Amino acid sequence: MNFIKNLQGLDRRYVFVFIAVAIIMPLIFPFNSLTYTTTPVENLYQLIDSYSPYVRADDLNGDGIISEEEAIAFKQDRAIFMDFFHDASTMPELFPMEVAVMRHCIYRRVPFFTFTIMEVAAPIIEEAISVVTDEIQKTGRVIERGKDYINIGYKPPALYLPILLGMGDDIAAAVETDTDGNRIENLPMYRDTAIRNYTQMNLVYETSGSDQGLSWMIYARSRFGVNVGVGLTAVMAADQYPYLQSGQCVGMTAGLKGAAEYENLVDMFAMNNLTFSKGQLDNPTEAMMANLDITSDTVPTKFKMARLGMNAQSVAHILIIVFIILGNIGYFLEKKKQNKNL
Amino acid sequence: MKKNIPLAIVIILGFIFVGWTFIPAKWMQDDFYTAFLEFTKTMSPFAVFLGIYSLVSMHYNRIRRKVPKWGYSYVTLTGLVVTATLGFVYGTQAGTPVQWIFRNFMMPISATMFSLLAFYMATAAYKSFRARSIEATVLLVAAIIIMLGQVPLGMAISRSWPINILDISQWIMDVPNLASKRGILLGVGLGSVATSLKILLGIERTYLGGGD
Amino acid sequence: MTLIGEIIAVFLTLAIFSFLYKDNPAYRFAEYLIVGVTVGYGLPLVYKNAFQPFVLQRIFVEHKFIFLIPVFFGILFWFRFSRNYGWLSRYPIAISMGMVGAGVTMSMNSMVLVQVRQAMIPLETFNIFLIFLGTITVMFYFFFSKAHTGLYGKFSRIGIWYMMIGFGASFGYTVMARISLLIGRLQFLADTFKGWIA
Repeated sequence: MNFIKNLQGLDRRYVFVFIAVAIIMPLIFPFNSLTYTTTPVENLYQLIDSYSPYVRADDLNGDGIISEEEAIAFKQDRAIFMDFFHDASTMPELFPMEVAVMRHCIYRRVPFFTFTIMEVAAPIIEEAISVVTDEIQKTGRVIERGKDYINIGYKPPALYLPILLGMGDDIAAAVETDTDGNRIENLPMYRDTAIRNYTQMNLVYETSGSDQGLSWMIYARSRFGVNVGVGLTAVMAADQYPYLQSGQCVGMTAGLKGAAEYENLVDMFAMNNLTFSKGQLDNPTEAMMANLDITSDTVPTKFKMARLGMNAQSVAHILIIVFIILGNIGYFLEKKKQNKNL
Repeated sequence: MKKNIPLAIVIILGFIFVGWTFIPAKWMQDDFYTAFLEFTKTMSPFAVFLGIYSLVSMHYNRIRRKVPKWGYSYVTLTGLVVTATLGFVYGTQAGTPVQWIFRNFMMPISATMFSLLAFYMATAAYKSFRARSIEATVLLVAAIIIMLGQVPLGMAISRSWPINILDISQWIMDVPNLASKRGILLGVGLGSVATSLKILLGIERTYLGGGD
Repeated sequence: MTLIGEIIAVFLTLAIFSFLYKDNPAYRFAEYLIVGVTVGYGLPLVYKNAFQPFVLQRIFVEHKFIFLIPVFFGILFWFRFSRNYGWLSRYPIAISMGMVGAGVTMSMNSMVLVQVRQAMIPLETFNIFLIFLGTITVMFYFFFSKAHTGLYGKFSRIGIWYMMIGFGASFGYTVMARISLLIGRLQFLADTFKGWIA
């Protein structure tokens, strides 16, 4: 009884220490835990993957798989558009998913645009691009700015809606220049392909800690029918379900968990040059499993940040649930005692 | 001149844009929209400088009046001048000094500031999250299920149970959560349409600022 | 340079964490610094990504002097803080507000009509029935023109239950979000220290 009473009056700084320790331990000693994927994340992954030349190109030599040469030869006419709408404060949640999506795009040769109306998000885009491209360049493949992706970068907020709607017609006319000052129409990704507007750029992936993705659903989706996918902080995730069910939002990565799921899918499928199939999720091959081992060095740390974090998340959630239960036990015991005294 | 003409601009332009969503004609979709887009593009950068001016003048005044803790305003202004200068000289792309500042100054400070919330939230969960009524209990139970359902450990614990915790938490999200959010959303949606209409009809004018 | 950067980043992270103990000069230093650095970052960005292509390029390179009109309206923004001429800034604001017209029809479509249509699908499964019941009863709850008594009150009470589950879900997710942010920072500290030791 006294123990419970003492617990009730526990100084909050002890709670702080408990939480810190619960999070640090799993980070120092990583372990493999099961990352099961959910439908909104799978849908997003599948949609992006469906734009890949590895799925769409013709199998010229008829060997049943699309080789790298065949993929490069394919005239690309699909791209995705990534809108970054957050500052560094929500980066621990959103950055791993941005990296995972970009990594997916680069490996599967899906061209992408990056864009933001927040000054503070501009460096996040650069950071994400360099994290992904640096690693891939180590394998010998050269990633060219303007050819594999176009970083439109920052544009003033007053232009958000005008650009959003203008891209229904022509992206080069709507944004004019990329962040390095090059005109979009001179960049190979625009000049040498058929990518012009939402018809080709048929997925907008919006990462934010607010309901900003709604703007894309209200304006771009209802007018041009573009697919909208969102990457959200977990705080906003529950509010997204009505849009997921109505199909206005095609897919979602929510919080660190969503990021971990996407990382997993990239390592299972894209890294093994495989096309997503639900059946394979339940029966992964050995090559897939090797890529999922986060305790080994197979996957560079920056591509498993979310999965490493989810271990700590597990422990912290359990601790908070224990806190809630202990707090309530104390509350009921005290209430019982008060009733007795009356 | 001071209020009526801006108001008229909003109303006229607003109704043109209502028409723009319906009228597929070329003069509307291409000619008008392109002209509007070009106009806004050139106008847009000026508004951003306003925020910078406001911040600088605030800190300048703090230093001039020597208000309590005015010394910190020098920190703000120095940060501003140094970062802006480096940005103008070296650009803002990856590999520039500004990106280095982002990585080692901006990111640690703002991300850590937000992460403090985790500690306060944990304390709140411990000290004030109580099952005081049936409704509160429902909220509490739903929250615990969702928290368990989100993490691998929850899945591992419930593997031997007849129903998996992941399935329950997914059902909560897909059914009762969806229904409640949709009910609220419909109200919010109608409210936001009403607000837009009020602006369009000139009933709501606070965005123009006070005064006559 | 990388090491210096890491030391600064670690110092600033710990400076902010020190607030948990109590407010102190190190925390305040970091707090004021971030404001300046953030705005300072924006200045060259706005200049390069917007001012140069949309203003300078058009007028001084392409000599399209018609663009002096939007420049004029843009400059009017700056009168915002003037006591006597503050009203001039209403003109550019009014022009930016014009697109609200498109919002009326499009929000009506996306936020209301599509959602209502989704709420009206045939009640083929028990879950769809539950979603239907929840949507209706939550809306009952927010209808304040009628007293919440009798059968009506019972219905709106069901709505409260639905909302409590919804809020519980949001709370569960919020816990996850806050913890994730902390994980991010501690992950940074752990990795950096590990790197230093190695």
